[in-house]
Amino acid sequence: MTLPTIKALAISEEITVVPRKRWFHHAKGRQAALINVALTLGSITMLVPFLWMVLTSLKSPAELAQFPPTFFPQEWMFSNYAATLDAAPFGLYFRNSFVIATTHTFITVVLGSMAGYALARIYFKGREAIFLAFIAMLMIPTYTKIVPQFLLVKFMPLFGGNDILGQGGSGWLDTWWALIIPGGLSASAIFLFRQFYLSLPKDLEEAARIDGLGEFRIFSQIYTPLIKPAIATVGLLTFQESWNNFLWPLLVTTSSDLRVIQVGLAVFQQLDNTQWQYLMAGTTMATVPMVVLFIFAQKYFIQGFTNAGIK
Amino acid sequence: MTTTERHPTRGAKAAAKQVSPSTAPKKRKRISTAEKKRRRAGWLMITPSVIHVGLWTLIPVIATFYLSFTDYGIFAAPKWIWFDNYVEMFNDAVFMQSIGNTIWYTFWTVPVSMAVAVVVAVLLNQGLKLQKFYRTAFFLPQVTATVAIAMVWLWIFNPQYGLLNAMLETIGLPGQAWLVDPKWALPAVILVGAWQGIGIKMLIYIAALQNIDESLYEAASLDGASSIRKFFSITVPMLKPATFFVFIISIIGAFQVFDQIYVLTDGGPANATTMMTYEVYRSAFQEFRMGMASAQSVVLFAFLLFVTLISRRVTKEED
Repeated sequence: MTLPTIKALAISEEITVVPRKRWFHHAKGRQAALINVALTLGSITMLVPFLWMVLTSLKSPAELAQFPPTFFPQEWMFSNYAATLDAAPFGLYFRNSFVIATTHTFITVVLGSMAGYALARIYFKGREAIFLAFIAMLMIPTYTKIVPQFLLVKFMPLFGGNDILGQGGSGWLDTWWALIIPGGLSASAIFLFRQFYLSLPKDLEEAARIDGLGEFRIFSQIYTPLIKPAIATVGLLTFQESWNNFLWPLLVTTSSDLRVIQVGLAVFQQLDNTQWQYLMAGTTMATVPMVVLFIFAQKYFIQGFTNAGIK
Repeated sequence: MTTTERHPTRGAKAAAKQVSPSTAPKKRKRISTAEKKRRRAGWLMITPSVIHVGLWTLIPVIATFYLSFTDYGIFAAPKWIWFDNYVEMFNDAVFMQSIGNTIWYTFWTVPVSMAVAVVVAVLLNQGLKLQKFYRTAFFLPQVTATVAIAMVWLWIFNPQYGLLNAMLETIGLPGQAWLVDPKWALPAVILVGAWQGIGIKMLIYIAALQNIDESLYEAASLDGASSIRKFFSITVPMLKPATFFVFIISIIGAFQVFDQIYVLTDGGPANATTMMTYEVYRSAFQEFRMGMASAQSVVLFAFLLFVTLISRRVTKEED
């Protein structure tokens, strides 16, 4: 269950709220202190694994072989990171993940916003049917699609040595196509965009039409600039989902050149006698971009559960 | 899924609800050239998405159902074998165990993280200075990759040098060979699942909490109700719709657990942690039995559909 899907479902179930500017019933004094203690303990439980990951990545092998383990490194081994990059091409994996996530985000924002706009603001024959079909597709679990998706990729006609019927070669397997095209768009993104466009007033388009603007210009110059926060939300969620994706890249790529960072970690870990300090350094590299992105763009991640910023 | 939309008619109050068509058609008879142009533009805008969703979602779903009745190993054409896959699957001890494990995993992760999430959400709703920090801390595991997180837990669970055993020994409990001991492997996986799943549930609960009318609490305070009393008499009932929603998406999510199994245990030891998704993966990409994998994923889908329909029924009756 990915975040965009959950968001889309939350909206469709009308579990949306208009957040208040202020929080109510302020806890005071002893009560507040107790709550703070409880929440601090909870937060520590949530954060310790992340902290442990970073600390482990900065220890020496000798130190990692101690029991009980030391908490802080006796000697901060920042050189572990350079050694990790030598041990496995994490820099390349990182770049691949970044390219794929960026491309997915771009395709989703462009095509998803167009589709969402059309569903929200233009009446054409068959619109309702298409919309309901998208809603149904939203509900399909990944594993109910994965086998045929793989087969589609393998038998893609005229690619990778395949003939017109898709026989004889490897199709899109182990190519950028397989990594970029199938995951490039999702029904949940379209649904979210539609919802954001629906929230805008109608008189803008009427005025624009009187001025003789075409539909594409109304879409790109009038309405889309108004939903910038929504674009940020969908874009960030798409990026995050793509960056964290594991199963699909694992299935469709084998060569190291196309490996994404999550698969790179798994491959690295399966090598004999795991070098924990290197594995944790790689894991830190795979995790930090999302953590930073989330901390700086929290507002957008959380939007959509709360409809803020589009009202 | 959503409110079913009535066909927009002239004079219908459009935009009364969020989920309603925003533009009603003009008269049925003559459509102006401008209107024709608009419709063409609409079609142009939606066509790429229709093609993409059709090719990568609709066709695969139909194909999954078709393939589930075939014997298909990629190299030869699919052979129609009716229900043989299903019969074999339900006679297969490992697959039955994976169903059991999946249900057991769901049974533990969903209520535990829901309970924690609701408590955290209520506490976060008290207007504390540090609430933004707390919210970030609880939500962080949700935005980072499950694979990466599982790597860290793999290290924490390490029987020789792991953090968890060190902490247990500090408080005088024996350490365990977490992921290699059939008795402890599934609980360990459950722990990771529950830990990771708190964030999103907390967020939905916070949204729902901010929607509760404050005057209810004020009235209760005037009647001299305690905080605990207010929680059970006002907060819990008012959170019912959100709870249902969280419950459904959590079950759907829990049934699709895969990444952490792949990293932590590979379904072992002795199939103690294999899940339905993992069996689909094994059938399809290790044994190359595409028909069997499809049949297994159909069963997974049936489970989820069943859960969704049941909960819809219950919600409807509530209303």
